[in-house]
Amino acid sequence: MNKRILFTLSATAAFSCMLGVSRPEVAEARIKLATLPDKEAVVVRFDHPHVVLVEEERTISLQKGNNTVDFSWAGTQIDKGSIVFRPADVNSKVVILSTSYPPGEAALTWSINSPDARSEKFRLSYLMANIQRETDYRAIVSKDEQTCTLRHYFKIRNWSGGTFDSADFVTRDGKRFEKALDQGEAKRVLVNKWDKVKLVKEYTYDTNRNYEGKVMTDYVLKNVKEIGLGTIPLEYGKVRIYQDDGQGTTAFTGEDWGQFTAIGDDMRLNIGIAQDIKIEFKKMVNDVENRRGNVYDTNEVDEYEIKNFKDTEATVTLVLRVQGEWEMQKDSEGYASFERIDNETIKFQVKAPPKGTPVKLKFHYKRLNNW
Amino acid sequence: MKTRWPMLALLLALSAPGLAAKEELVTLPKRDTVQLTIYNSVDLTLVRETRELSFKKGNNRLQFSWANTLIDPTSVEFAALTNTDKLEVLDTSYPAQSNQMLIWTIAADDAFAAKVEISYFTSGIRWNAEYHGMLSADESSMHLTSFVSVYNGSGEEYEDAKVRLIVGSIHIVEEIAALAGSARQGRQKEAYEGMRRADSNAADKKDITKEGLSEYYIYTVEGTETIPNGWSKRLESFQQAGVPLRTVYAAQPEKYGAALVKLLSFKNDEAHKLGREPLPEGVVRLYRVAGDNQLSYVGQVATAYIPKNDEVKVNCGHDPEVTLKRTRTSLKKESLVFQWTGNRQYLAGWDTVEEFKLELKNFRNREVEFEIDTYIGGDFDFTSATASTKIDFRTQRFAVKLAAGAKMDISYTVRIRNGTNIRNK
Repeated sequence: MNKRILFTLSATAAFSCMLGVSRPEVAEARIKLATLPDKEAVVVRFDHPHVVLVEEERTISLQKGNNTVDFSWAGTQIDKGSIVFRPADVNSKVVILSTSYPPGEAALTWSINSPDARSEKFRLSYLMANIQRETDYRAIVSKDEQTCTLRHYFKIRNWSGGTFDSADFVTRDGKRFEKALDQGEAKRVLVNKWDKVKLVKEYTYDTNRNYEGKVMTDYVLKNVKEIGLGTIPLEYGKVRIYQDDGQGTTAFTGEDWGQFTAIGDDMRLNIGIAQDIKIEFKKMVNDVENRRGNVYDTNEVDEYEIKNFKDTEATVTLVLRVQGEWEMQKDSEGYASFERIDNETIKFQVKAPPKGTPVKLKFHYKRLNNW
Repeated sequence: MKTRWPMLALLLALSAPGLAAKEELVTLPKRDTVQLTIYNSVDLTLVRETRELSFKKGNNRLQFSWANTLIDPTSVEFAALTNTDKLEVLDTSYPAQSNQMLIWTIAADDAFAAKVEISYFTSGIRWNAEYHGMLSADESSMHLTSFVSVYNGSGEEYEDAKVRLIVGSIHIVEEIAALAGSARQGRQKEAYEGMRRADSNAADKKDITKEGLSEYYIYTVEGTETIPNGWSKRLESFQQAGVPLRTVYAAQPEKYGAALVKLLSFKNDEAHKLGREPLPEGVVRLYRVAGDNQLSYVGQVATAYIPKNDEVKVNCGHDPEVTLKRTRTSLKKESLVFQWTGNRQYLAGWDTVEEFKLELKNFRNREVEFEIDTYIGGDFDFTSATASTKIDFRTQRFAVKLAAGAKMDISYTVRIRNGTNIRNK
């Protein structure tokens, strides 16, 4: 005996069919028998960074012997090659014998063999295109800039052609929420909230980041439990930063793209320019040394005058670069510490006293022309 | 006057699965308060409005629409200000049928009224600072007045809004106007009446309070303001009499061009009766009191942000009463070095020795200061009987004072070594 069962997906009826609402009017001409099984569940998974997996469960009444089940998805963005259909029970005696694809149709037919008449739960999985996801964050920084409340939002927009009357949406970090989602509709959901997250504020001079030599203000969040995070990797997304203004409201203080931040890693967010810190660069010495024919070294002294017009001391990081082969000289001065990041890059920490009292960083190095 | 505020409505259908036609739309009463936080470094204004809403027990659907505005849809936020622990935003839906609307699904533990805040970013409003300095007759001091001007080109009228201005340069990664969608023609409204009505209520000048926040300053305008679309409004920020001024005549071609320019400078510090707050970037215009309460224009400069204790210099341009003439009085080649390559001899090294004269004349009736920079490239010796300061590896500066009606000549010699004469230090 051969029983024929139909699943239909289309732009109009879409997932409502899978979800158990009987709409025989959308059945196509080739369908012989349209006994729609009850819905069990629909899960939309975002655990892959780029691809969306839809998984549905439903129970199908099978006759003993071979059964035919049709599945069609006209008007939706299902990747045909990705469809996986199997009994939910891994020990099931039901066997999927073959899958047939009719020409020119967004459809297929499964031939299923059952040892007896039974109701069997099946799981159907497929990749679906044009379901967009977006992560964004909203941080409310305390007045003293020591901590923040970080809210993590997940937004889905459905351009897949399908309609989800009800589905479980699962984020990459395993957060699950049940929503309805229409074709063309977007939904934004708060998925995580962390309170009293410690943050570090840093001032950085780096002409690769700001060619005018302005000092950048960054917040650095370490994705670790010690500061109140560290439960999930933080997805890439826009972070909008507000600060408690002490007047019962908040002020928007900047935004940046938060890069994907694994547990244990840092998320650095630039909020803007530190206008009360000014740095003036002068090259004080640029002499020829160690001339050998037409080859020579140079002896160079770069001076950075840092003025901090704030009322409190500030630590400023200067990221400086010298190309080629070079050596820093021991009489460099004016810094609290330094670290040579790579051959071209050196990072100085300078403590800048308050109220505009200048401090000078003297960076003395020799550029070597060795062959 | 007709306004085009974003509209807030309550959809009276609890737990509705979709945008069902049976939902009843109730437009909510006018907002209670509105606060504008306007940024000058980017085209961005943060709008916060509050209003009292009644919630039913269960799921409430709240619709917010902003057709024909410059609102960034990604910035719209809902927050309960009272009953915060009894209200929860379950999701924010952006229906397919409209790209200028959203619906919040808000769960309420009980039936009650709550004060809520809707906040969003919009564009089209900007502010800037301006300064007027009235110089004393001898230019030794000035009366400085600072203004802030708010311009509303957003297409919306903002009535009775609390206005806050952010001084500082924030970082944004996407333009708000772009996020708001396609550019829209600003609508000129019947603004005049609104402005006149708003101004008729103003009896006194408004105070502007200033407070630091992170890397920024917040200027809060006292009371509320009505700013119709297309209009700008200028408010006085502060006044200060007797700010001491320094006059310097500078020859610094890389900064001010080839000519000698007059710089009037002052510091934003206590010694100059300022320094209470940083001065936002803006145009400083200087006038001289020309008697009988008449003014003559002296000059202007577009300044960057001036922190507390920092200095501002206003370039007043050329002053025919103070002159500088630079002449080269001598040019010689010395120390020529020749080398042989095979049977050919060629010039391998030489020194160029140049003598210059600076003629300084002060036709004014007061002492003036000069700062004259000389740029020299390569391996050089700089000699002069007049003291000079090394500014950097290629710049020497003469800083001298010249009495009223006096003249002064400064001579200096530059020896530049070329080729093999460049010293191996």
